[in-house]
Amino acid sequence: MKIGLEIHVQLPTRSKMFCSCPAGGAAGPNEHICPGCMGMPGTRPALNKEAIILGIKIAKLLNCTVPETIWFNRKIYFYPDLCRHYQITQYETPIAGNGVYYLGKKPIRINRAHLEEDPGVVSRSGDGSLTDYNRSGMPLIEIVTEPDIATPAEAREFLTALLKDIRHVIDLPDDGERSIRADCNISMKDSERCEVKNVSGLKNVERALTFEAVRQTKILKAGGRIARETRHYDADRMVTTSARKKEHEGDYAYVCESNLGKIDVKKIMSSVEHKESPKDLAARLEKEFVIDGSVAMQIVNTSVKLANLFEHLAKDVGPETSLKWVTGAISSFWKMLEKDADAKIGGIKDIIMRQKNGEINDVECSIMLKALITGKDDPAAKNDAALEPLIKIAIANNPSVLTDYKKSEKAANRIIGIIMKETGGSYSSSDIVEATKKILDELSLQ
Amino acid sequence: MNLADINKRYNIFSEFVPHDGKGFTFSLSDDMIAKGFQATAGSMILEGHRPVYDSTVSVRMRDAGASLIGKTNMHEFGVGVLSVAAKNPFDIERICGSGAACAASLIDDHVALATSGWGGISIPAAFCGVIGLTPTQGRVSRYGQIDNVSSMGPIGIIAPNTKILKKYLPAISGKDVNDPVSCSQPELKLGKSKLKTVAVPKGITDNVSKDVRKAFDDSVEMLKGMSVDITYEDMPHLKYSMAAHYILACVEGSLNFATYCGMRVGQQNGDMSLPFDDYFTSFRTKYFGQEIKKSIISGTYMTLGDNRNELYLRSLGIRQLVLDDHKKILSKYDTILTPSMPFIAPKSGEIEKMGYADKYLSGRFAIPPVFCGLPSISVPCGYSGGMPMGMQFISSHWNEDVLISAAEMWENSFNIKRPEVLL
Repeated sequence: MKIGLEIHVQLPTRSKMFCSCPAGGAAGPNEHICPGCMGMPGTRPALNKEAIILGIKIAKLLNCTVPETIWFNRKIYFYPDLCRHYQITQYETPIAGNGVYYLGKKPIRINRAHLEEDPGVVSRSGDGSLTDYNRSGMPLIEIVTEPDIATPAEAREFLTALLKDIRHVIDLPDDGERSIRADCNISMKDSERCEVKNVSGLKNVERALTFEAVRQTKILKAGGRIARETRHYDADRMVTTSARKKEHEGDYAYVCESNLGKIDVKKIMSSVEHKESPKDLAARLEKEFVIDGSVAMQIVNTSVKLANLFEHLAKDVGPETSLKWVTGAISSFWKMLEKDADAKIGGIKDIIMRQKNGEINDVECSIMLKALITGKDDPAAKNDAALEPLIKIAIANNPSVLTDYKKSEKAANRIIGIIMKETGGSYSSSDIVEATKKILDELSLQ
Repeated sequence: MNLADINKRYNIFSEFVPHDGKGFTFSLSDDMIAKGFQATAGSMILEGHRPVYDSTVSVRMRDAGASLIGKTNMHEFGVGVLSVAAKNPFDIERICGSGAACAASLIDDHVALATSGWGGISIPAAFCGVIGLTPTQGRVSRYGQIDNVSSMGPIGIIAPNTKILKKYLPAISGKDVNDPVSCSQPELKLGKSKLKTVAVPKGITDNVSKDVRKAFDDSVEMLKGMSVDITYEDMPHLKYSMAAHYILACVEGSLNFATYCGMRVGQQNGDMSLPFDDYFTSFRTKYFGQEIKKSIISGTYMTLGDNRNELYLRSLGIRQLVLDDHKKILSKYDTILTPSMPFIAPKSGEIEKMGYADKYLSGRFAIPPVFCGLPSISVPCGYSGGMPMGMQFISSHWNEDVLISAAEMWENSFNIKRPEVLL
């Protein structure tokens, strides 16, 4: 069995690909349209550069080559959901060519990835059809794999991993509207392939492919022939049905879109900052900090931010200490930390540094990390008024501290230790230290 | 002057507004959009189409102080060479190529804007004895021009004299964000160059009518008298340009015409109960003219399967060769000079007797510069039996300046006649 996928991912640009209509977020049907995306005679497309930039980022993720110049083509498309009746897409110069994506150790070759415009949405209504052109002209990237996928389950696994990486690299929000669709090509040994068009959702891809595999095997076993065709997936009935005979490449014309001209990708590329994919990040952490590969993957899978935190800490406190706390206390409270990890990174580093220097022990370190992460020492949650009486009581119970403090400030540590134990991490150590010293200073003066 | 009377006699306008004709007026050919006017590009399928936006040229001309008096007739989507859209101002028995040239010839101080994908500026300008400037591809924004061919055919100006041509060319030129092709142009500078050297392609007057050859040869002599150096040069690939142009024009046209299906624009009164394929087929069968159907079928065939390589992509290659021919010569000379048309404006009956290929090949002088995106200007160069003939200067990309100065120089020594019947 050979499976190849054509994956359509909508690119998160603010405006459409060839006009200035907003991309997404329309309140009702046909709100985000203009003479351009309605194909009014006489309008000209104007390219959204952001789409090219996102295309380059995905090309890098897929280890693809990127041409120095690209142009667009018009593909014949006689369906009512694209007003011009041709789709602006790429043929000779896809933004990405000849790549490979590693699913674990298995290479899945990428034939190409090209940019194109999304058509509108047609919905059946009574005995007619309604067309909504809000989506028409939104930027898409179509990633075409070689038939390197062996099973429907592997297809799903591949898509899951790939989409995770893509989401990260181009900051694609997981908001549903910018859906991911795939055309699934599947063929049994030595027979024609069938294409199941426009399957949305990972689960459905696996189901559609499984259904096709069973259907084709049955036909072949009965001595039949598989006809090359396009099929539709009916998500409700979980079956595929024949749609139309598959067009061959030669029927699409692919005429150069001279209204856009040639685009200098090399120039654009020099300004694109490439974001490391989660997979590459894990591999790099494994190599750079000599940690176990599966642990690195586990950290990255929890969150790329967590991996960044590990890396940041490792540079200051060493990979071993960093790993210990990142996989320990920090991991267990990760859900709470995730939102404001960047803001708290300094505090976390201070605490771990003190543990490493022997200023505090492991238990104290855990307590303090927990306090910091759970936000109990947030300014709003802080109640210095309650802290002060506690300190005063502790000093009263240990009168020798005050006399010792006059000789050496180190004596304060005894009170600090008591308070920290009593408050169980509700206050940050720095606050306790500050408050204790302040009270001791006041008392010393009396 | 009464526009209604003029229009009745010459069939210039598809739609016009009453105007006293005073001050600077302009007209747009019917494939250019102007708010308030219908835009049909001469096609039945677009009848009743009143666009919701304005074209850049229309806005710029109005901003420059000219008033729009009407939309001039054209043959359907400008496809084809010998248009019978309007009558010739010098002889109403004869064709004039387009309503635009007819308007420029008949109305004082009038500029007519037209598109040149199939030579639609030089050809009618020659037939009507007026000056027609085809600018460099990308010089004038095409936003709001109903597409026929996409990779060629800029909007240009037809005018009775160079004075108003010079006034309005800068007005319509310049970058426009709505047409990315226009954004790569260098600034238009006028009045900087002077015509000194001219190359004439060898054998260019073979197979042209006797009167045109004589007028052309006389004009060359006259230019020599104006101390312009004339040299005859080989252009080995020029002969392939017509076949390649035909292929590209049909291919690009077939995609541009795909949008017309009885939905969204123009005619929409079909039987809605039909399936989509049958619905649009019935529309296109009923409302497209023969010439358009031919070009759609040819264009589709030319990109089908292996034909894409054999015909379409090869034509793109030929365009490069023809352009290289021109560039090589234009690196040595200011302009290339050819006749504009191989004969004077024919009578409608004569056209009916001509074959399809002969009709098309009569554009063999006007089309090659358009094909390569080069600017050209057609000026009257002689009269035969009262009918005007034209010659055409071609210059390198973006150098409209030398063309206008050549036309100005010519205008000063050659007596350009106006049609006798002025209403």
